[in-house]
Amino acid sequence: MASSILKTEKLCKSFSNGGALQHVIKNLDLEIIEGDFTVIMGASGSGKSTLLYALSGMDKPSMGKIRFGEKEIQDYSNDELAVFRRGNCGFVFQSVYLLDNQTVLDNVLTGALIVQKNSPELVKKAKDLLTKVGIAEGLWKKYPNQLSGGEAQRVGIVRAIINDPKILFADEPTGQLNSASGKDVLDIFTEVHKNGQSIVLVTHDLKTALRGTRVLYLRDGGVVGDHRMPVFGEDDEKDRRASLTAFLEEMGW
Amino acid sequence: MNNKILRLSLFNLKKNRREVLGIIFMTLVTVLMLSVVLINQKKIDTAFDESYERSGCVRQTVLFKVDKYRNAFADILLKDYGIEKVSEGRLIYSNMVDVLGKDGDTVAYNLMFATEKSERKMEAFHKLEQLPEEEIAGVEHPIWLPEGFRITKGYVAGDDFLILKNGKEYPFTIVGFFEAGLMTNDGYFYKVILSDEDYALFAMLFDSSKDYECVGLFFDGEEIDFDRYLEDCNEVASENLSFTTYFNCYRWEKMNETNFLEIFMMMIIGISAVTLIASLFMIRHKISGDIEDQMQQIGVLEALGYRSAEISLSYLYEYVIAGGLGSVLGAVIACLITPFVNTGISVMLGRSVAGGSGMGGAVIAVAAVLFLVAVFALLKARRVKKYPPVVALRKGIRTHHFGKNILPLDKMHWNINLGLAMKGFFGNLKASAGILICIITAGTAIMFGALTYDFSSNGPYGFAAMMGTDWEVLMVYTLSDTDIDAFRQELLTLPEVRKAIKGFHGEHVSVKGSSDSAEVISFGDYADSENVHPYEGRLPQYDNEVMIGLRRSREENIKVGDSIVLEYNGLEKKYIVSGIVGTIQNGGTVVYLTNDGYKRLNIFAAENVVQIYPAEGVSISKLQAAIDAHFGGTAKQAAEGGLSGQSRDERIRAAAEEKIAAMLNQYGVTDVDYAVQIGDELITGNSRNFVIKECFSYEGIIKTQMVPIAETTKNFCFYALILVSGIVAVLITIITSNDVRRQRHALGIMKGLGYSSKDLMMQLALKYMPVILAGTAIATVCGLWINDLFWGLLFAAFSKVNVSTVVITDILMLIFCFAVAYLSAGRIRKISVTELMTE
Repeated sequence: MASSILKTEKLCKSFSNGGALQHVIKNLDLEIIEGDFTVIMGASGSGKSTLLYALSGMDKPSMGKIRFGEKEIQDYSNDELAVFRRGNCGFVFQSVYLLDNQTVLDNVLTGALIVQKNSPELVKKAKDLLTKVGIAEGLWKKYPNQLSGGEAQRVGIVRAIINDPKILFADEPTGQLNSASGKDVLDIFTEVHKNGQSIVLVTHDLKTALRGTRVLYLRDGGVVGDHRMPVFGEDDEKDRRASLTAFLEEMGW
Repeated sequence: MNNKILRLSLFNLKKNRREVLGIIFMTLVTVLMLSVVLINQKKIDTAFDESYERSGCVRQTVLFKVDKYRNAFADILLKDYGIEKVSEGRLIYSNMVDVLGKDGDTVAYNLMFATEKSERKMEAFHKLEQLPEEEIAGVEHPIWLPEGFRITKGYVAGDDFLILKNGKEYPFTIVGFFEAGLMTNDGYFYKVILSDEDYALFAMLFDSSKDYECVGLFFDGEEIDFDRYLEDCNEVASENLSFTTYFNCYRWEKMNETNFLEIFMMMIIGISAVTLIASLFMIRHKISGDIEDQMQQIGVLEALGYRSAEISLSYLYEYVIAGGLGSVLGAVIACLITPFVNTGISVMLGRSVAGGSGMGGAVIAVAAVLFLVAVFALLKARRVKKYPPVVALRKGIRTHHFGKNILPLDKMHWNINLGLAMKGFFGNLKASAGILICIITAGTAIMFGALTYDFSSNGPYGFAAMMGTDWEVLMVYTLSDTDIDAFRQELLTLPEVRKAIKGFHGEHVSVKGSSDSAEVISFGDYADSENVHPYEGRLPQYDNEVMIGLRRSREENIKVGDSIVLEYNGLEKKYIVSGIVGTIQNGGTVVYLTNDGYKRLNIFAAENVVQIYPAEGVSISKLQAAIDAHFGGTAKQAAEGGLSGQSRDERIRAAAEEKIAAMLNQYGVTDVDYAVQIGDELITGNSRNFVIKECFSYEGIIKTQMVPIAETTKNFCFYALILVSGIVAVLITIITSNDVRRQRHALGIMKGLGYSSKDLMMQLALKYMPVILAGTAIATVCGLWINDLFWGLLFAAFSKVNVSTVVITDILMLIFCFAVAYLSAGRIRKISVTELMTE
């Protein structure tokens, strides 16, 4: 049986809104299984991104526990969370968030060098990964504003996986891409997942959700649906789409 | 439309409170300092002039030793120098008179004793605070002191004033103070007024090379050419009078009294300049950052129809409002502290200072600073013009990077935080230029302040080190028939004596072609000297070598290797200049010869002085006591009745010796025998009991003159260092805060990648270190240069630079800058990754 990589117990996240407390995540018990490609879906304001930030240690929960392997991270200080993230998590942002003043290769290495020492092997790995995601050598010395949206997002993925994170988080990674670029990016996610990478991805896009092996549906700060699927490509795409659509319709999507 | 612009400025002011407070603080300090100078600079001038005017003092005086004076000297002034009236009076010139201070310690002063009659010939004897007349009439030994004693030394009428001279005490009662024109400063002389009886006693007692009665000529009129006048007098007297004749005038007195204050004013202007430069560059830096930060907002405003000039105005308003607030506050504070500044000036000048707050000076300071702030702000804000709406909305072309990738990470093997910091630094070198200038300016002030603090924290020792001669010694003049070598050997047997060397003291020679005669400092072997350090060249080794003071070198353009001709009593000898030394002794005009070198010029001279160095832990007074105990006192002490015995024989011997001493000391007698018969008893003796003519030390007067200067300088430097460090801290804080705000986005991403706040704070602090390092290095060189220039120009001397002070200051500066940058980057902690994601 696959082991749990991330587990929450009565996880709560609230925000103060003009003095009134707004509970976005409410007493959430959730378990993320190692090797899964978990997709979190839900209507706008359902708490998808908030959950992702809490799970990834980008933000602290208001209450409850988050257990990452053997460690409980909910009481970590901001700096402890940063150290935790660098060693365990990769993150792909919707707006990519490459560093404007650094080249493609430097952007990737900036993510790597906080974890590991510089070495020819590391640089080779960065270059190999960039090549693998379709970023040719000619682009390595370019700056982010010289890249297309799809190219930038692929660089963002390489930056997120360069450290072989235990879990890769992604927040609407195709949200700002055209469909062709979006597909390329999703193909990379699928391939990465097939290589054993655990992924937690937030999306409201059906095509993206289809890539997952598990779809969680969030409503009012709680998981109201949990749908399992085979690994993408190992089943019939039509059936896969039908079953997911049925699940989402059931959820009121 | 202007309302909108003003609102934008006010919004920015509110948003960037920390930076605004920094600008307010820096403009406040700048205007405060500048206003203090502008308000008080004139006051120093007028305070002296007004006090001088009230004193009714003549403008010039010449003092001649009484036995050298000829009536013709006054006639020369009347006939050849256009002087209309010359008054004549008597004064006693007395070097290094010990006075028992108010705190019980002995303080040495150079005093000039005069009677009221003489005083009234010189000035109006304008009395200030005094005892009631009937009380004064009952005082046995009244003394009138110049106002400076009341202001700077804290004496009040009715206090005791105990003069100690050669072991005897002369108690006086201060009956009042008077406003003096000339002779009222630590650096020259204090004139004090005695009763006719006391004056007569002192005129008899004070008669040596260091104190004697003078005839003073007092006159007004245009300042005479003293050197020419002295030559005229020499011709009449057929002898060289330059060693016993003293000139003083309004200009010299003013220079003497105001010099130190002027230095302080210069220092305040220096600090003000540092703050101003830092403020202006900070404003440039911040506007540049603001424009980049608000690029999209600028684009929107331009799209709405605002002209770039109008948008530029919003920045101008912002800084004029902040700078204006700081400037006005600075000016108000400067006006409010005027009474305290008046007191400070009064204490340093030794004269009463009054005067209003001089709003004019403050207004000028505010206007000047605001003008510069406005010009700097406008010049930088005009950059908005470069961004048409489309460019601005795209966040400006400058945020696009197409340039060379400096320090690519794949080739860098440093720590990543250091690497990214260096990338940040080299990626924006232009912005570093302003910071570099600020660090150099402030660093130079800090280095100079630290060196001056270190120098003055040694009390009188720092300043005395500039004497260019050994001063913590006891100079012993021997009687002419004393075997000086035997005496020296005997001295060396005393445990209180560490070293005793023979030489000459107080001898004067003329330097051919120069109007400044020279006092000779001589050593048999300069290896024995402890406070003579050549600035250039080396110490004299041979009898044809001379070392000269820096002032003479500069003023007469004499360099190492040149020759000068010295003249003594008509004999001229050529000497090669072996070295140049920074010395404040006699205004830097002294010449250094070997003992043999001096004997070449004064062929009949025999060493007359033994310079005694006390053993470790032995004070000069203890050394003096030990010598008195061993040798039975000096002829001078005996002549003044300072020695006494207990038994009849001892009393007789003491009385006889007193007579002999008076003959030896005052009448040039060299050998005396005596016999006193009392009944069958014959008491005999001779002058061979006396070996010491007189002892003296510069230590007391140096301490008296230097301690207050050192103390004031030390305190000033301490506060100036704190202030400049504060300015550096504000500067770095503002730059860092600005940087954090500008890079908020990138810092958020880095946090997302797993960089902790500490990592990012370290990166930001390290990013400034190259410029801080370079700035500190340049500032060290500039600070040392200014230190040399300052003391060189001011005193023609050099303060001994303590290398460890330089190193420690540099290290502290670097640590301080790093710590401030690191701590002020603490805003990074507030950057939330999630906030960034949800933008």
